[in-house]
Amino acid sequence: MNWKKFFIAFVAAFIFIFLWGWIYNGVLLKDIYAQTQSLWRPRAETMSLFHWIILGQAGLAFVFVMIYGSGFAGGGVAAGIKLGIMLELLAISMRFMIYATQPLPAELLVLWSIGGFIEMIVTGAIVGAIYKPAAAQTS
Amino acid sequence: MDWKKFFIAFVAAFGFIFVFGFIWYGKLMHGVHQEVPALWRPEAEFGSYFSWLVFGHIVMAFFLTLLCAKFVPAGGAGACARLGILLALVYIGNDFIIYAVQPLTTKILCGWIVGDLIMFGVAGAIIGAIYKSSSPAAT
Repeated sequence: MNWKKFFIAFVAAFIFIFLWGWIYNGVLLKDIYAQTQSLWRPRAETMSLFHWIILGQAGLAFVFVMIYGSGFAGGGVAAGIKLGIMLELLAISMRFMIYATQPLPAELLVLWSIGGFIEMIVTGAIVGAIYKPAAAQTS
Repeated sequence: MDWKKFFIAFVAAFGFIFVFGFIWYGKLMHGVHQEVPALWRPEAEFGSYFSWLVFGHIVMAFFLTLLCAKFVPAGGAGACARLGILLALVYIGNDFIIYAVQPLTTKILCGWIVGDLIMFGVAGAIIGAIYKSSSPAAT
């Protein structure tokens, strides 16, 4: 494991995930969240728990690089994008379950999935461009 | 890709994920979930969304099997359980973010984290034990 490149890839992925999450969920989807206010914490409460968002996004970036760096996915930008798409498809299955149990509008489910694809594809491209595993895992 | 073994592994993973989800999230965590009833669909409404829950489990089992088959072509319960745990960590990051924006209790968060780790780890082990490609070098 090349820890220097691992760290750079992690920081770059985290910065993108943080900015994308802020622009997409905090700005573009703001009106849709406002329509389902009973499902969300009040803004002040969310801000007091903001460190959980940072921790969650940092964890996501770290584990993404770790899976990629373990050689599971192979190397290069294409492999990073492939891993991102696979992870997002798995995330969509989770969203189906959330949609079945929570009174979310179907529109939000679709928009989360579109945003998730963009997030994971770009994260995969960033990680794949920066970090190149020595060899793909074969066992 | 050995499609016969893939299909058997997928069905076994689906069976485990569905039964585990029903017991862990549906039964053992039922009381904890009811601490925030406003977040969930009413029982009567949930019935009409049950197909989304089943579909979510099918999609999850399929892509988890595909990830194991693609990224751990030699198979093996240990290697696939490891990949499963790494995938669980991705979704635990997401659980942290949900905790910050939705009025979940810490008990729910902890239950989801433990559930994710067990579910993905064991499902990965099941898939790895069943799916062993005849050509381990294939990617």
